[in-house]
Amino acid sequence: MAAVALIGFFCAINVSEEAMMDHASDEVKQLIEEEKDSTRKYLTITYNNLGVVSYISFSTSGAQSIKEAYVGFAGKIYSANEGFGKFVGQMVNYTYRMLGSGENLLHGVKLTLLLTTLSMAIGSILSIFLALGKISENRLVSKISSGYIFFFRGTPLLIQLFVVYFSVPAIFGFSWRSLFSMSDPEAVYKGAFIAALIAFSLNSAAYCAEIVRAAIQSIDKGQNEAAKALGMSYGQTMRTIIIPQSIRRMIPPLCNEFVMMIKDVSLVFAISLMDITTISKTIMTSEGNYLVFFPALIIYLIITAIFTYLFGKVEKRLSVYE
Amino acid sequence: MSEYEYIIKTEHLRKAFGSLEVLKDINLAVKKGEVICIIGPSGAGKSTYLRSLNQLEKITSGKIYIKDELFLHREHNRTIHRVEPDRQKAMLLEMGMVFQRFNLFPHKTVLENVMIAQILVRKKSKDAAKKLAKEIIDRVGLSDKLDVYPSKLSGGQQQRVAIARALAMEPEIMLFDEPTSALDPELVGEVLNVMKRLAKQGMTMLCVTHEMGFAREVADRVVFMADGMLLEEGTPAEVFDHPTNEKAVNFLRSVL
Repeated sequence: MAAVALIGFFCAINVSEEAMMDHASDEVKQLIEEEKDSTRKYLTITYNNLGVVSYISFSTSGAQSIKEAYVGFAGKIYSANEGFGKFVGQMVNYTYRMLGSGENLLHGVKLTLLLTTLSMAIGSILSIFLALGKISENRLVSKISSGYIFFFRGTPLLIQLFVVYFSVPAIFGFSWRSLFSMSDPEAVYKGAFIAALIAFSLNSAAYCAEIVRAAIQSIDKGQNEAAKALGMSYGQTMRTIIIPQSIRRMIPPLCNEFVMMIKDVSLVFAISLMDITTISKTIMTSEGNYLVFFPALIIYLIITAIFTYLFGKVEKRLSVYE
Repeated sequence: MSEYEYIIKTEHLRKAFGSLEVLKDINLAVKKGEVICIIGPSGAGKSTYLRSLNQLEKITSGKIYIKDELFLHREHNRTIHRVEPDRQKAMLLEMGMVFQRFNLFPHKTVLENVMIAQILVRKKSKDAAKKLAKEIIDRVGLSDKLDVYPSKLSGGQQQRVAIARALAMEPEIMLFDEPTSALDPELVGEVLNVMKRLAKQGMTMLCVTHEMGFAREVADRVVFMADGMLLEEGTPAEVFDHPTNEKAVNFLRSVL
């Protein structure tokens, strides 16, 4: 609570963009003034606001390049041209880029969260059918479900992603980007996202199916018998008696699976999507700053912590009857 | 007034788990309003017999009649006759079952436990189900526990809820599978009292039990079963006081 209050306080006294712009040197201000009506920009302004801290940099290329940067924190503006200020400024800038703020939805943290939650949601719904199929008395259904699970757990996720993204369109003669209008500049990314979503959902369904199956089979056989003796059908028994009880037992392993998935999502680098890992690698390569991985680690930790907390809450809620 | 002679009748009922024969030729017929107690040593097949009546176990061979109608006929693990599924479901609902380990639904409150099958199986409205559930829960003396989860109840209370849950389906006959065997001794009485009251109200009951006192007091007929066979059958006085079968004599000597 105290931490939230503190963050709220810092957000409230955060320095505005105007104030940051105002802080620039006369030289830069003059450049801004000159470029106002021109289409050819010579000066690059980068402004990143993380709520608590903000960062602005002015840079020009060329022989007499100007490089100026400022960090705004707790109502004050500090220079970020060198030393600790520069370090903080870079961290703010990198974090901002990994969060994917201001850019499209399929970027950075947003991509990771979107892909993880959606594919886990679809995967866990599919997994219920797979698990019921695997424990079904119908041999054919059971064999098909087991085969599916064996295939997706026995092959690398990266290759599954390649198959969905490259092979499937080649076989069926379509392209992922053509799912979206030609004029959409993000059609490539949206298409890749759909392909990734399919691959990750199918994969997580296989892993979750084993979790679901174990949870269902851990429910006392007497529950089944009692429901049967009351005349309830198989579907009714599963829906109202067995699955509600087993969901609570699925939560801890599903949380585990979720956390693994958050990290697995970085494989999307292979199909031109940019998640946290890919962005940090790109920044490292292009700017040569090896410290870029630390904000990446911290972002992952924060995401994992939030979801672990949420899963714990859900588990507690589902345990009321125990 | 009953339009049928026997609620349940079995002829030549056999059940084998692999090569192990658990039931060997069981013939038993239950009339309306009768209370029959099945006694005998453990491993005699008493529970298996009850469970094969309501299809929790598949019989190997034999005939089961429900209300004089042939319900199931199997020979050598093959079904010769079976009523069609809808009718089968309706016929099975004539039997209510109470288990040794209660098997209440732990994620449902007492009221929900008694309501759920009424709504899902009997297709009753929520209000109608609730009304009947409350009435029956009151009969087993637990009206103050309506919104409590089973884990908060004692074993005896749980078993009374389980009885209420079975009664809510308004069965013609109640099957009790050792209803007091999993209970602490001091909790047995409350469950037996509920069962006695049921018997007095004219409920037909088929009861596997180790409570000889209860059997003697309540049963119209006592059946002694051992090694998968019915060895002795008669009024409580006949079976308890003048057993003729040697195994029954030995068993009764050891428990009484």
